[in-house]
Amino acid sequence: MAAVVLNKVGKKYPNGFHAIPAVDLDIKDGEFIVLVGPSGCGKSTLLRMVAGLETITDGELTINGKRMNEKEPADRDIAMVFQSYALYPHMTVAGNMGYGLKNRGVDKDTIEQKVNDVATMLDLSHLLDRKPRMLSGGQRQRVAMGRAMVRDPQVFLFDEPLSNLDAKLRVQMRVEIRQLQKKLGTTTLYVTHDQVEAMTLADRLVVLNQGHAEQIGSPLELYDKPATPFVAAFIGSPSMNLFSATLESNKLNIGGDSGFSLAADHEFEGSVVWGIRPEHLVVCEQNEDFKIRVKAVESLGAETLIYGAIEGVEEELVLRLSGPHQPEINSDICLQAPQEKWHLFDANTQQRLS
Amino acid sequence: MIENRPWLTFISHCVLIIGVIVVALPIWVAVVASTHPAEAFGQGSIPLWFGNYATETWQRVLFSAAGNGVDVPVWRMMLNSLIMALSIALGKIAISLISAYAIVFFRFPLRSFCFWLIFMTLMLPVEVRILPTYEVVAKLNLLNSYTGLALPLIASATATFLFRQAFMAMPGELVEAARMDGAGPVRFFFDILLPLTRTNIAALFVILFIYGWNQYLWPLLITTDDAYYTLVMSIKRMVSVADGAIEWNSIMATTILAMLPPVAVVIGMQKMFVKGLVDSEK
Repeated sequence: MAAVVLNKVGKKYPNGFHAIPAVDLDIKDGEFIVLVGPSGCGKSTLLRMVAGLETITDGELTINGKRMNEKEPADRDIAMVFQSYALYPHMTVAGNMGYGLKNRGVDKDTIEQKVNDVATMLDLSHLLDRKPRMLSGGQRQRVAMGRAMVRDPQVFLFDEPLSNLDAKLRVQMRVEIRQLQKKLGTTTLYVTHDQVEAMTLADRLVVLNQGHAEQIGSPLELYDKPATPFVAAFIGSPSMNLFSATLESNKLNIGGDSGFSLAADHEFEGSVVWGIRPEHLVVCEQNEDFKIRVKAVESLGAETLIYGAIEGVEEELVLRLSGPHQPEINSDICLQAPQEKWHLFDANTQQRLS
Repeated sequence: MIENRPWLTFISHCVLIIGVIVVALPIWVAVVASTHPAEAFGQGSIPLWFGNYATETWQRVLFSAAGNGVDVPVWRMMLNSLIMALSIALGKIAISLISAYAIVFFRFPLRSFCFWLIFMTLMLPVEVRILPTYEVVAKLNLLNSYTGLALPLIASATATFLFRQAFMAMPGELVEAARMDGAGPVRFFFDILLPLTRTNIAALFVILFIYGWNQYLWPLLITTDDAYYTLVMSIKRMVSVADGAIEWNSIMATTILAMLPPVAVVIGMQKMFVKGLVDSEK
């Protein structure tokens, strides 16, 4: 078990492209960290830098206090689960799981012992003699995890391990990964673009945007107090409604002259980004803050998503109601936006106004 | 095309049968001719059914001397051909595997230059460089030796190219997984790369074995000692006797024998051959 520290770690390609400017991250022993962001944000690159598959051009990476920048992947005492699983097609499940130990000169009996232990834990014991091509997707995924676990490494690295599974299996494996990690207590770095996966798995989340760590914090911290509009839009599904607005003399003006304004108890003056989550809007009979015209309705059974627009405002808005609702298209719905649920960001610095 | 048209079936069968006859008839004639006395073939009529001279011809050809001025028995020449074909095939595979491994998986200066250098030798088959090659081999005292027979034919751009393609199709994550598992370059080569390219190796072996077996010009040039004659070139020698009757029966028997090993290799490795050319289990 180990603490992993990234100290201003950066990556610059020889062609001058700065994929990752500088990331600071202090991972405590046994913590489950999820790197999340849209595709191309550098999350996989960062993970591969920790793994040693990409060189680190700036900063320092330490595992257990030891500098790892120049170490070979095999010497970092880490194990990685790949997106494609990368199982050796010609080896049996047992061979796949034991290969890393074999290369490290562990004797046969110990390898067998460890492989059997892990196989029992992952419910793979009856598959040990099979080749990967005879396994289902979920089983391959388990073998890939088993291969990582057998070595009992200091750090687990996961690179979008669930993206090749179907939705049901994904949920199941997600729960399993979480339980295993808790049980083993191994420090884990997990990359995903799926924010539900990120929210459910992580002790702490790192939201990456173009190589920058936009915000690092627990899932609920990120949900409740997103630091930037980017994080606000990324965390939560459907994503937060964001409007450009101006704040002056305690009034929030949205959509310019033709829009509407809300009384705001805030000192800041100037252009802001105003956000409110779809689930925090309240439908009301009277005293409405604004009206929306319904454009589309998605009934999911347990909840209903209503898409609409406010007259005079460009941005569209999503409303999330629990239970089934059937509003008419083009009818109006009156809404309240409770001020304690607002998110306000400075439009220039893109930072949260507390 | 799955259609039920009797005429179409009939015609396609006719075409196929004609094809089979065209291919098989010469072989049939050769088999039959080897069972007749030497003169039978030269009399103008080609026998189409077995004679009663089979045992004598085959015994002589196999174990005493092939005849027509070639004094070693056919089994000896078969052995020579086999040694040459195997060394060429295995040597080519070994060298190409290693060079493709270097070109694909290692970053070294002049890497692509090296590749193109190897690739350019495609334009220089043995026939083109035969005189300088002969001189080199002669100066190395390799005339009349197995090394001399095989070595100049071993360097191969085709095989290197094929393995390069196979290695480049190897998923990157697999290579990385092996790195994480602590497999060094040598381990990776033997534990991962070789097992995964074994169908390609098999396919290439078939092609190269036949290539080596059918070599004619090169063995003809560098062997003057009967002990190193290969089968294919000897057939030619047997036909061009200066005077006297050509012993067609022994020539035909030798020809049949010369055809057998390539056929055996193809049949034996057919499954892997097709697999290696068509799909790869990755």
